[in-house]
Amino acid sequence: MTSYPSRRAAFWSGARVSAGAPSAVLAAGYLGFAALAKAGQFPLWAALISVTTVWSLPGQLIMVEMSLAGAAPLIIVVAVSLTAMRFLPMTVSFLPLVREPHRPAWQLYFAAHALVMTNWAPCVRRVPELPVELRMPYFLGFAITNWVACIAATLVGYFLVDSFPPLVNRGLVLISSLYFVLVLSGEYSNRLALASILCGAVAGPLLYTVTPQWSILIAGLGGGTVAYFLFRRHHA
Amino acid sequence: MLELALLVLACGAATDLWRWLGVPLSGRVPADSEVFAWIGCVAYAMVASLIARMVILPSGVLTATLLSERLLACAVGLVAYYAGRRNLLLGILAGFVVIVVSGWLRGGSP
Repeated sequence: MTSYPSRRAAFWSGARVSAGAPSAVLAAGYLGFAALAKAGQFPLWAALISVTTVWSLPGQLIMVEMSLAGAAPLIIVVAVSLTAMRFLPMTVSFLPLVREPHRPAWQLYFAAHALVMTNWAPCVRRVPELPVELRMPYFLGFAITNWVACIAATLVGYFLVDSFPPLVNRGLVLISSLYFVLVLSGEYSNRLALASILCGAVAGPLLYTVTPQWSILIAGLGGGTVAYFLFRRHHA
Repeated sequence: MLELALLVLACGAATDLWRWLGVPLSGRVPADSEVFAWIGCVAYAMVASLIARMVILPSGVLTATLLSERLLACAVGLVAYYAGRRNLLLGILAGFVVIVVSGWLRGGSP
């Protein structure tokens, strides 16, 4: 169980592990994302392009919600980029694990693009147990399976909204909120994360009543910074 | 349409900027620095601000639901999630059922 006979075997092993709970859970989030997009008349082609290019559920939700709220494109891009900053420590810690000498650099850039929390968390644990030449195939098998599942879920979510009555659609649209309520609740033991979540959750709706298009940006930067200074300094 | 395509591509570039910065920086900066702790705080706060707003002050089809129904759906979802030993699909399903059934009880058609 610690190793595989070939790169191909490592790829498919990553794909098999991913095809269980990790991809199903992420796909549920994307089902909700697609329902939200469809209900807000955000076009399917744009939703699908965002799955392949942005490939980050929080970023995509912010993009769809802010553009439906009529925010200026520049503010949307800045808000999406600020939530994506969290990828930097993830790629910084992960890429050295899969870096092989004499391999083209674009493979690392592709791996970085495929990285999301769902594949980073299990792969950063599993991959160091493998010989270095099997790590990248294992990760790519895992990540590409996530991707395929989420593209399928986006298509399904989009068409489900069309084929169900309004009452069911409300449930589908609520899925993206439920998904993050559950995911964020898991951070209850991490003081700094919990403080940031509470600051953001209080500031977000309040600021929305004042300035809908700036609310996420100000609540995120302000709430996160307040939480950092209150809890990082004194409780580190 | 072109504007929307450009927006999505710009959001993709703005996201990959941070992922790709990790290629030259990996192995040179520690992944547990203070800057990264602050970045994590901002990311959590930003997502939480959006989700809180979507639950408390929704737009679109969820405006047809009551705040109490949405909060109940989240609460039941949380209970199901932890009762199922952090089964996310179970939690989502429970919240989904609550919002649909509560709307139906208020006299909506399914």
